[in-house]
Amino acid sequence: MWCRMMLGICFALVPAVEAAAFEAYVSNEKGNTISVIDTTAWKVVETIKVGQRPRGIAFTKDQKYVLVAVGDDDTIQMIDTTSNKVVDTLPSGPDPELFIDDPTGKFLYVANENDNTVTIIDIERRARLGEVEVGVEPEGMGLSPDGKILVNTSETTNMVHFIDTASRQVVANVLVDARPRYAQFKDDGSELWVSSEIGGTVSVIDPVKHEVRTKIVFSIPGMRAEAIQPVGINITRNGKTGFVALGPANRIAVVDGTTHQVQKYLLVGQRVWHMALTPDEKYLLTTNGVSNDVSVIDVASLKVIDTIQVGELPWGITISQH
Amino acid sequence: MLCAVLPSVSNAADQRYPDWPCVQAKVPEISVAAVWEGPPIEQVANTWQNEPKIKDLVTLLAARRTPMQDAQKSIAEFLTGDAAAKADKGKRLFAGLFETLNSQRNEVMNGLERLARSEKELAERIRSDTSALRELQDKSPPDLSKIDELATRVEWNSRIFEDRRKSIRYACEVPVTIDKRLFALSRAIQQAAEQ
Repeated sequence: MWCRMMLGICFALVPAVEAAAFEAYVSNEKGNTISVIDTTAWKVVETIKVGQRPRGIAFTKDQKYVLVAVGDDDTIQMIDTTSNKVVDTLPSGPDPELFIDDPTGKFLYVANENDNTVTIIDIERRARLGEVEVGVEPEGMGLSPDGKILVNTSETTNMVHFIDTASRQVVANVLVDARPRYAQFKDDGSELWVSSEIGGTVSVIDPVKHEVRTKIVFSIPGMRAEAIQPVGINITRNGKTGFVALGPANRIAVVDGTTHQVQKYLLVGQRVWHMALTPDEKYLLTTNGVSNDVSVIDVASLKVIDTIQVGELPWGITISQH
Repeated sequence: MLCAVLPSVSNAADQRYPDWPCVQAKVPEISVAAVWEGPPIEQVANTWQNEPKIKDLVTLLAARRTPMQDAQKSIAEFLTGDAAAKADKGKRLFAGLFETLNSQRNEVMNGLERLARSEKELAERIRSDTSALRELQDKSPPDLSKIDELATRVEWNSRIFEDRRKSIRYACEVPVTIDKRLFALSRAIQQAAEQ
């Protein structure tokens, strides 16, 4: 922050214990903007105008760009993180919603919902490399930590497709509960968690045997089961704690990563879909689509400590690694 | 010369609620659990109105013309005392807001469904008039004054139909607006009670 204020000249701060300042970029699906949040001030410090219907959003591995899928413009925009301006686009294929970068940071895998395909993009060359045919309405994208297996969930057929990234062939399919939305591997590759929005569960899948080991179920006293709609999933690096966003239940479920039991529910904002952990895993930020805000959860105490107003219909969130 | 496009009323996406005209899914009522993590309110559900201070505050907070910032301030000013006192006041205030806003929401939703039913009836009338008009036009010799009368009626009803359709679209946003307000106020109460 200091660097930008002083016109590019960086001043060393007087030595003191400084809270790590990261930047969270939030896509506002209806507002067609990105809200940039400073994680020490917990405030929106900038609002970037982007194309139409921004949803999936992620930093490139080298942190130079924030990529955002602008579905109605059929492209992925590249935001330069030093200027916070849109500087280029990637040929994503039609109606991109979610995408994921591979561990090397060179490639992007994009789910094209209307085309029933996954498009593979070379980021540096800004070029389409190929496509993989998948089930109807692909949405959730997950990548095994070694980059060898790409997982894609199909909203209508309720399948999880395992794709070998070298051969670009589907090597296995696993059936889960109704309307799978999101797929997340544990960092050690031992488990794949997939949320079923209408089914109301998260399936814990064995990525080697390609079978469902167990299902995480949710129950909130006084709330109709249909209102509990799991979408986004985030798991700590040590695999011990998982967080699941429950949509119109307005809550995050904190799940024990070993027993797969819910430890706690946290009321955040309305229609919570996606989340991101700060790199030090001290905070979890959630996007609350209907209340147009982002909730900040202190991970150690499992308490909501702040709420930040952002743009209209916040959808996705990505946080800088430094 | 005549409007050959027959109007359709609703998206009728949800078979459970055939009269619901909105593109937004019908959520019949907001559950306490959707907005509240505080102490249970069953005990105070029927007694909150007995306290004039709470009654007045509920009216002020529920009103959409009260800006949210002012509402938050009023809530913080009302929730005073030790933790137990704040929890108790907060619970009663929430009970009042919950009942008030949920019933406001129900009124709006019932009104929307009534309007949607009227639209369906009007659409039927337009359809049958248009049909009758075609028959009249096919007759030889044509009864021009009757044709004129019927044509005017169809045009007039079609205009009413379109105007009502626009009103319905705007009115459909009201239940969501009330829902958002209830959530924001409930959150403000819970936060003020925790401070």
